[in-house]
Order: sequence, then C-alpha cells, then structure tokens
Amino acid sequence: MRNALAIANKELRGYFASPIGWVICGLFSLMFGYFFYAYVEVFLKNSMQSQMGNGGPMNINILLIRPLLSNATVIILFMLPSITMRTYSEEKRSGTIELLLTSPITDWEIIIGKFLGAMGLYCTLLLATMAHMAILFAYGRPEFRPLIAGYIGLVLLGGCFVSMGLFVSSLTKNQVIAGVGTFIAGLLFWVINWLADSASPTTSAILSYLSITEHFDDFAKGVIDTKHVIFYLSFITFGLFLTSKSVDTERWKG
Amino acid sequence: MIEVQHLTKRYGSFTAVDDISFRVEPGEILGFLGPNGAGKTTTMRMLTGYMPATDGKAIVAGYDVFAKPIDAKARTGYLPETPPLYPDMTVREYLTFVAKIKMPKKTTAADRKTRVEQIMKRTFVDDMANRHCGRLSKGYKQRVGLAQALIHDPEVLILDEPTAGLDPKQIIETRDLIRSLAGNHTVVLSTHILPEVAQTCARVVIINKGKVVAVDTPDNLTRQLRGASSLYVQVDVSGGDAHDTLVGVPGVTKVGVADRHDGVVGYELHAEQQRDVRRDVARAIVDRGMGLLEMRPMRMSLEDIFLQLTTQETKDGAGAPGANDVPPAEQAAAMVAEGDPNA
Repeated sequence: MRNALAIANKELRGYFASPIGWVICGLFSLMFGYFFYAYVEVFLKNSMQSQMGNGGPMNINILLIRPLLSNATVIILFMLPSITMRTYSEEKRSGTIELLLTSPITDWEIIIGKFLGAMGLYCTLLLATMAHMAILFAYGRPEFRPLIAGYIGLVLLGGCFVSMGLFVSSLTKNQVIAGVGTFIAGLLFWVINWLADSASPTTSAILSYLSITEHFDDFAKGVIDTKHVIFYLSFITFGLFLTSKSVDTERWKG
Repeated sequence: MIEVQHLTKRYGSFTAVDDISFRVEPGEILGFLGPNGAGKTTTMRMLTGYMPATDGKAIVAGYDVFAKPIDAKARTGYLPETPPLYPDMTVREYLTFVAKIKMPKKTTAADRKTRVEQIMKRTFVDDMANRHCGRLSKGYKQRVGLAQALIHDPEVLILDEPTAGLDPKQIIETRDLIRSLAGNHTVVLSTHILPEVAQTCARVVIINKGKVVAVDTPDNLTRQLRGASSLYVQVDVSGGDAHDTLVGVPGVTKVGVADRHDGVVGYELHAEQQRDVRRDVARAIVDRGMGLLEMRPMRMSLEDIFLQLTTQETKDGAGAPGANDVPPAEQAAAMVAEGDPNA
C-alpha cells in the first residue's frame, strides 16, 4: 500500500508540476460555474413565479442541486479522459514504465497508485465545486444529506471513467488515442440505454443496467442505493482488472 | 550473483534470444557485447523482470526472477537504454520517488533523504539537484539514470549502454564509477564500444543473433582467437635482409614483411603454437649484427575478434574457446587494472 501511495503521490504531483492539472481545474471550474449560474437563474425565475401564487413551494434540492449534479456529469464525461489519457501511455512512450516494472512493486500497486492519483485530481475538482454549494447554504436552506449522496455518486461515477481511462491508456503509447478512446468508451456507456426502449425486455434490462448515467439518477435524488454502489464498484474493479491484464500482456509482447 | 540457464525469448516465429546460459560471480563485472539487434537488451529485460522469458531460468541475487520477482527486483538496479526519467520532476524529487518505491519498506524518511544526497554526490549530479530532469543534458540524464539504479544499493546492477551519449570526460568518470562498484556489486553492462569492455570488464559474453558466441576474459579471447602466436619484429637491416635469418629460427613457421622504410624493416612472424620464440629470434638478429629495434606480440584487437565471431557462421558457440571456464578472481582483477588507460 505504501508503494501505491508513493505512485499516487507522484501522479498527483505530476498533474500539478505541468500545466495539465491547472488547466483541467480551471476549465472544469469555469464550466461548472456556468452551469451553476444558469441553474440559479432558472431557479430564481421559477421561485419568483411561485411567489406570485401560481406554484407550490420551491425545493432547492430538487429544483437546483439535483439537475445541476446530473448535468455536471456531462462536464465529467468530457474532462476525465484528459486526466487519465497520459497515465500509462506517457510512461510507455518515454520509457519510464521500465522503471516501474523493474522496481520491487507489483502491477496492482502501480494500478491502484495511478487510480488514486487520478481520483485525487478528480476529487480536487469536486472540492472546488463545493464553493458554489456553500453559496447555496449561505443564502438558502438546502438539505445537507442529499447533497452528500450526490457527491458520493459523482465520486463513484468518476471512478468508473478513471478505471476505464486507465485501461484505454494502457493499450496505447499515444496520448491522443488514449484520450479520444476513453471519451468514446465513456460516451458509449452514456447512451447505451437509448436502445432500451426498442429492444426486447431482457436486452432492454441489460442495456439500461449498463448505462452509467441511469445509476446516477438515484444519487442525484439523494438516495444511496447499494444496488448502484455495487454497480459502480464492480465497474471500477473490472476496469482495473482489464488494466492489469493489459499491462501483463504488454510484458509478454515486450 | 547471476545465473542464466537456457534463457530463450521468442516473438512468434522470431527467436530474439536463443538458449543463452552464463554465470556472473559476485563482485564481477561482465561485459555484454553484440551487434545491434543481437538480443542484448532483450536479455537484460528478462534479467530485470521487465519481461518474462519464453523458456529457461534466470537467478539474480539468489532469487528466481520469474518465480520471486519482487525479491529479485529489490536486489537489482537497472539502467535501461534510455534513462527512465520524469521530465517534470527535479533530480532530487525523482530520486526521492525512486527511493520510496525501491528501498526496503522499513527505511525511514530521514534515511532515504541521506541516501538520495549521498547517491547524487557519488554520481556527480548533486549540482543539478533542483533542475528538472527534462532540462538536463544527455550526460546528466545518463548519470541520474545510474543514480536511480544505485539508490537501493543493489547486489546486482544491470546497465544497458551506460556510457552512450556521454562526452569523453564523462565516459571516463562513468567507467571509473562502474569499476569502483565491482566487488560490492555484481555488474552486467552492455555496450558496443569495444575498448570499453577491455577496460572495465573482467569477462565478456559475446552474443550474436540471440546466441552466445563466446564467454571469456578479454585477454583470453584475444590470445586464443589468434590461433598461432605471432610477433612483430622491427629490425635495422642496414641494407641487408633478415628474412632468411628469421626463417632459420627454430619454431618460426612463417615470415612476412609488414612495413619497410630507410633500411628498417618490420617483419611479421608466425610461430608454432605454445612456443615462445622471442629469445631465439632476438639472439639470431643480434648475432647477425643487425639492430633489433622493436619486438612485440601481435594481438587481435577486440574489434577483430568481435567481427570474426559475429560474422563467422561456421564457428558456433560451443566450439568457441573457453566457453565454460571461469577465470580466477585475481586474474580478473589484474585485467581490470591493466586495461585502465588512466591509471
């Protein structure tokens, strides 16, 4: 575990030693800020109308935080490939992978380390969005616990993208291919339930089960359902498992 | 200690390393010589556990590399062909990171710090400690790579072309450093610079097309490959000719003229094997009243041997002289001292 933490630490420092980490943080905050502003505007307009008497009481959790978090997942879909794209491909291209693979550490320690490193940057992004939430708490009275559930959902969802990104990155030396590949794979899991309506009941159930976003809905509502937690955790584990197989295959190929 | 038994690496139908066996004694420096694509890097990568072998066994520092990779890797330092540096890290940060993943788990942070400083001094990179690895010159990169390989004080060091890309002064410093490691570390280094092998290595493994062509001391290789022993003799013939005199010396089988100018002739003598004809040759020349200006044994340079071994297909690995004998350690030590041009 100490080795994994050493790798995680190296990865995280790597993001911020180069412009990558800062640019990702900046752009993510910019987009999230815009989403936040837009939803607050809509919310204000609606609450004004509701005060005029043609609407029920406004719930800030349901009408603002829930759609905001759901839509934030779009930014995550676009941003996370840029976090994971260099994890393995850059090490393979520059030859530093030889250092890692000839050090007295296991493949799993490297994978876990890289996963934690990328998650570290991702959680930093989420932490920055807490500032917006603090504004809501300062001027309104949103419920705290659904918000926590939403963030747990975001962390798990991001974990899926990161583990997928690690796998795609371990397949190629080329960062651009790794980035685009991860994005396309993520998008596929995003839209996979589109076909659910027209498919046979069994296929339909499978397709909607595989959809990354469908499992997020409950989290956005503030519900932590073990069903979804298990889905995300198995998705992450499977992604990391594929990565370990890919690294191992690469060894045999040389 | 390194023991390699029948190590083989195949990529599909292509055999990169074909049934290689050799042994490196503790504290010895072994040179790994071969043309590009001979399988040097592949062999080294198998020894360091970077890639598994198709067949065979490699024991490094007492641990089977394939069965107990973590134990073997903890005792191995490896400098790949391109130093594995992270361009965004400073030299100190980089070495600290490597120390974290390579040094034993119980090492304290303070000990790691001392070790990093110590190794930077030893490899002459301490003046660049705060420079980013990506902005170092080739020579510094190579030496930071060496520092990285040495950081956990490994029993076994595997260096893939450690002096490639260095300037002459740095080459000498690096060779001195590598030589100073012998005794405490078992070193395998690959190179295609032949004099380097003669200067730094106690023994040489020459490989070609994935096969071991010869294993011996550079000295023995030069001697044994020469076939019959030969001498170069420079004589002041003062208008005459020493050819007949030389042919007349017992044991001399062949005499040829190597060079000739101003009454001074250089002869090339071939003598029967295992027979020292130098005294008789000297006496014969002096007795004839001619001046003996120079006499030295003619040796094939390592280049000649290398070319001979790697281009001659008839001479197979098993037939190469001394493939199985291990030279005594003192002979090895003497070789190293003798081969040092800076001594």
